[in-house]
Amino acid sequence: MVSTSILAVSSHLSPGIVATAVGVPLQSGTTIVQLLVFALLLGGIYGLVALGLTMIFGVMDVINFAHGALMVLAMYIVWSLSSASGLTPLVFIPIAVVALFGVGILIHHFTIAPIMEAPQENQLIVTFGVMLILISSIEIAFSPNPRSYNIDLGSVGAAGVFIPEGQLYALVISITAVIGMWLFLQRTQLGRAIRGTADNRSGAKFVGINIKRIDYLTFGLGAALAGLAGAAIPLIQRFDPYIGDVYLINAFVIVVLGGLGSFPGALLGGMIIGFVQVFGQFYLPGSVYQVMIFMIFILVLLLRPEGLLGGKRT
Amino acid sequence: MSSETGSSLSTVWHRYKQFRNESYATPLLLGIIFGILIVLPALLEVSIAGYSLGTRVSLGMLIVTLVWAYTAQSWNIMSGFTGQFSFGHAAFFGLGAYGTILLVSNYSINPWIGMLVGAVLAALYGLLIGVLCFRYDLRGHYFALATLAFAELLRFIINNIGALGGASGFIKPLPREYADGPGLLAFQFSTDLPYYYVILAFLLIVTTVAFVIRNSRFGLYLFAIREDENAAAAVGIPTFKYKLSAVAISAFFTAWAGAFWAMYFDTIRPDTVFDLLINVEILLPAIVGGLGTVIGPILGSFIVTPLSEIARQSLDLPGTDRIVYGLLLVLIVLYSPKGVVSWPKRLADLLGWQDSPTDEDAVDETHN
Repeated sequence: MVSTSILAVSSHLSPGIVATAVGVPLQSGTTIVQLLVFALLLGGIYGLVALGLTMIFGVMDVINFAHGALMVLAMYIVWSLSSASGLTPLVFIPIAVVALFGVGILIHHFTIAPIMEAPQENQLIVTFGVMLILISSIEIAFSPNPRSYNIDLGSVGAAGVFIPEGQLYALVISITAVIGMWLFLQRTQLGRAIRGTADNRSGAKFVGINIKRIDYLTFGLGAALAGLAGAAIPLIQRFDPYIGDVYLINAFVIVVLGGLGSFPGALLGGMIIGFVQVFGQFYLPGSVYQVMIFMIFILVLLLRPEGLLGGKRT
Repeated sequence: MSSETGSSLSTVWHRYKQFRNESYATPLLLGIIFGILIVLPALLEVSIAGYSLGTRVSLGMLIVTLVWAYTAQSWNIMSGFTGQFSFGHAAFFGLGAYGTILLVSNYSINPWIGMLVGAVLAALYGLLIGVLCFRYDLRGHYFALATLAFAELLRFIINNIGALGGASGFIKPLPREYADGPGLLAFQFSTDLPYYYVILAFLLIVTTVAFVIRNSRFGLYLFAIREDENAAAAVGIPTFKYKLSAVAISAFFTAWAGAFWAMYFDTIRPDTVFDLLINVEILLPAIVGGLGTVIGPILGSFIVTPLSEIARQSLDLPGTDRIVYGLLLVLIVLYSPKGVVSWPKRLADLLGWQDSPTDEDAVDETHN
């Protein structure tokens, strides 16, 4: 971007955006470059969602079905606070992230921690139960009607490529979060402990890592990442209580694609799926891109079941 | 030792325990359950002191309850018996529904034939999933995720193919368009009562199949795979072959429920028959009732479905039924992972009726 100028866009937030997928508002100046920008953006958000999911998986060996519901919870927290106070939703995003960290700890304490040693399916069923309770409660409290943040955003443009401001904010948020998370995991003692536990649970225990505490932290961080991604999504599209579903399903594909438990894999997988979706939505009819996403998933299962960047398999 | 307060209830429990260890116990209990189910619609009409069951429970609710009991029983053969946890049985359910409705709408082919075609398709799809997943030794939640992806794949494929009805799906044709009129042959009836007995017959068939499998050498192999697949393979059980058989049988029968669904309700759409929630509705009764048991899925469905229906009707809020599902999932897995069928034993333990809590001779309900 050389010079940016704010352009007033006639309608914002929902031009041609469907409630179930990240829509691409197509304007006259749309080019490959524009699609690339959108793909990068969506890939970043997918990466965030998948990072939380794959972290919980890698460290705790738990598949968290409530991940999408946690995203939705964050959207409604930001939306409620912003509507009640009249302030811009951007201020409340950090609050939602912190709140979700707390919610994650609570969910882990009451539903996952007691059955950490039980068969894998039990944890999957429990998190699915949590998802149903969360989503339906949100639906009852806020009605199933689609909503959007009360925020007026223009768009930023350069050289014929237009980026709605909401998308730019979302991109900045997701890139910052991914880098922050990356630094935390790579450079801090705690991050190292988390990676160590993901790598070898009993080994981590032997070298004195309190893996029970790491579990709490991991689930809290996973929920917080879901919350951040969730809070950022309404910047680019309208939302309803069910929007978490499609992100969750694609996040599963991404974590398998990248390698279950692999942090760089989640980011790479997020980018791949982001590109497939944005270009697929533009060039293919209907939701054929979604068929392609599942085809990729099955191909990976067939050819490289440990994922693109996954090394170990259990 | 029976306690001094050895009440008559304690004696009843010991009698029951003895009975439960007899080989004829499960068939007899099943016989009683099916006996009750046969007369249940008539009982709805009976009014005792001005109160009749029919005011709370409708025939339609019972039909839906039996559908989920049926699917849970089918799911159980693969996931409860063999331990291959499927989170994508909506694929088989949907294939049954689409096989039936496509053939009857487009070619006026009798829905019963359509049902069998759908069931064979589902079994083949199950084999495809099985071959791909088992070949790469996907287990536990890797496998669960893969099955979910295969179900979602079908949903999006059908959503995008106009010839298969696309996103708007199909409206059930009138019976006169492909048969002489409503009746058993047309798989369409003018009242709910015949539907009830059709799905009850389905349930009887799949329950018999499940019972026979449980008590056969084949069933023993499946349970061996569930308990320890490596050990089972080590003693020479061809685990790959047996896992595939379990998937195919389970898929074949699950498709029948889809066919029934398509002929009972007026419309089907990819987003209803392949829905994420269908996967849960299929497996929930088996989990609540007791994983791997023959009686469990039936008991479970009679707890789950009426409870959620009544909650939804009395609170009059959409989504209440899903909160009930969610609570049941969480509570059962946390506090009673062996399901409702284990409750008599747990009650006996609680009240000190057992000779000792770890009594090896005690009935293990999960093996019935």
